[in-house]
Amino acid sequence: MSEKQKMNSIVSPIPIDTENPGNFELYGFADHTTPLILDCWYVAALTTEVTREVISKRLLGTDVALYRTLSGKPVAVRNRCPHRSFPLSKGRLEGDVLVCGYHGMAFNPSGQCVRMPALPIVPTHADVRSFPLVEMGPLLWIWLGHPDRADTSLIPDTHWLADSNWKTVNGFFSIKADYVSMHENLLDQTHFPFLHPGAIGTPEYARSKLDARMVGDSVVIDRALLNSPPPGVYAMPTGLADKPVDRFSEACFVSPALHRAFARIVDNNDPSGKPRTYRFNIAHIFTPETQQSMHYWWFCSRDFKHDDAAIDEHLTTASAKAYKEDVEALEWIMETIMKDAQPQFDLHFAPDKPGLMMRQSLYRLAKAEHGTAV
Amino acid sequence: MNPKLFDVKVAQVKQLTPRVREYLLCRTSAAALPPWTAGAHIALHLDVPARGLVIRHYALIGGDGLRDDPPNTYRIAVQCEEHGFGSHLIHENLTVGSSLRIGPPVNSFALDRNSEQVLLLAGGIGVTPLIAMARSLLRRNRSFQMIYSGRSIEQMAYSQTLQDMCGSNIRFHCSDSQGRLDIKALFAQLDQATQVYVCGSTAFTKAAIQASQELGWAVGRLRSEAFISSVLPGDTSFQVLLQKSKLEIKVRSDQSLLDALSEVPVPVFWDCRKGECGLCVTKVLAYDGELLHRDRYLTDEDKRQGSSMCLCVSRTSGQRLVLDL
Repeated sequence: MSEKQKMNSIVSPIPIDTENPGNFELYGFADHTTPLILDCWYVAALTTEVTREVISKRLLGTDVALYRTLSGKPVAVRNRCPHRSFPLSKGRLEGDVLVCGYHGMAFNPSGQCVRMPALPIVPTHADVRSFPLVEMGPLLWIWLGHPDRADTSLIPDTHWLADSNWKTVNGFFSIKADYVSMHENLLDQTHFPFLHPGAIGTPEYARSKLDARMVGDSVVIDRALLNSPPPGVYAMPTGLADKPVDRFSEACFVSPALHRAFARIVDNNDPSGKPRTYRFNIAHIFTPETQQSMHYWWFCSRDFKHDDAAIDEHLTTASAKAYKEDVEALEWIMETIMKDAQPQFDLHFAPDKPGLMMRQSLYRLAKAEHGTAV
Repeated sequence: MNPKLFDVKVAQVKQLTPRVREYLLCRTSAAALPPWTAGAHIALHLDVPARGLVIRHYALIGGDGLRDDPPNTYRIAVQCEEHGFGSHLIHENLTVGSSLRIGPPVNSFALDRNSEQVLLLAGGIGVTPLIAMARSLLRRNRSFQMIYSGRSIEQMAYSQTLQDMCGSNIRFHCSDSQGRLDIKALFAQLDQATQVYVCGSTAFTKAAIQASQELGWAVGRLRSEAFISSVLPGDTSFQVLLQKSKLEIKVRSDQSLLDALSEVPVPVFWDCRKGECGLCVTKVLAYDGELLHRDRYLTDEDKRQGSSMCLCVSRTSGQRLVLDL
């Protein structure tokens, strides 16, 4: 893994010691140099991306080849022939068997070598690594850590993405920034009015009271803002622009792979005479590509007006615009960190606490996995 | 040819049975050792004065019972073999603090994650990779049975550990008191869907393969690994004339031809050291006695012709061999 990360990472003026990741402090905060957490379910691809055409992706520094068997079962194997490192995705499928394009070595969906044309026998020690893969709604979850720990009950809940009570729009970014800063960005709501003016943040919202707490390895922020007009992104779909509503949100760093935000807009003056609740569930799904780049899938789901194409269009455009602003900001920050050789020790302020909790959690997970203390 | 090697130190030695010792090998740098999966083994590279490089393979056990070892540690168990120079060397020389080099993990006995029902069949010290498999199966709540055959319970390493781990899933068979395990009878009563993993001595593994063939099992239902042993009981010493180098060397009864060549040293290509990759195949110019071909690489026809051999596992029953080296 480390060799690969070295090859793939952006060249840093301060070399990252990936060969010696054993030196962890007692309480540290994860950043773009912290070893990636492998023992976790990540999204490898949308289920629609994986077909009978072999594709490849770099996930947590490992090149992975993805395809489907004739019966439709998705398969993930290392995209690197164990013989001469030829990328297997450049080979071809023969039925369910993946054939290397260099010497014709062939592997079944379990990764077992079934043919080595240049030898009179099939070697027993020439398997390619295969990865546990689970299809859940629109997502294909992969486990790149130790396969024995690939407990499917650890896959985070995103059931609404496959639930007909919800309507979802979605998008994707490939980002040249670390996933830690992306998680921090989503737990940091004080940047909303400045990076995304008018769209998702109002100055009242930025100053509203929040409650941040750790639940196991995850971090939860609850926020309530009563009797205030909704921000632009929610005003159009609900049709409540300029109308004072109660707004409740729960943002959660669920795992290295997922940030989930549940928003509720409550209109206490609905024409029906009863309060009406409009729900938005937002899933931000991250898979680090390397320590300093990532795949980012976002899903915005709502539980009302499913068939309104104008709302779909509005949510797609407004979400993509806001997230693109985040992506650009984080890429500028990463570029600054990488190019500026003068050391800097970033300042922290009170509203950064949820982000710091998350970074401490990631650090602890990385330490448990990569640290060598008995 | 030489894969990347890792420097390790012996962190702990434990006598498990009169003949078996367990070794914990820790990486000397702070970094983790490469990840591996159940069934994998590593090569110990022992640099022995006057004997050159001695390489021996041992399966990775992975932890103490259900508990994993830290990522910078590999756990192996070494049985002192009557005819095994390598195992004697390890027992005599490796103590806490000893430094040595090891190769990266290689798996030629991989446990298929998708198997629904599994039988693990262990013969003697062949139990070691099966402990890692049992741990993997238990952790993933897979249905399995284990049968561990050995001479007597006192001589069976990890019997208590396995009893604690596997509970009613394991059965012990002591051949001193119960006679030889009837593998064919055992296989005959298995459910059709059961995948079998066998590890033991060459004779034990052969008996299992034969039983599966007699029962007409599909190829692949039985997966096996014999100890990677280049020397078998009854092997004798012989002289080798190296035609091109104009050297004559002796191969002792307790070492392989490849080991004897690396003692000189005579450079030879090699990789798998178990008669599969074909890299060490060398032309035989003359020999007496019988060529004992123990590789899978050469065809039966090649073996009958006797004009080449695998240096890593094959030898002669005679006194003399002439090689094109």
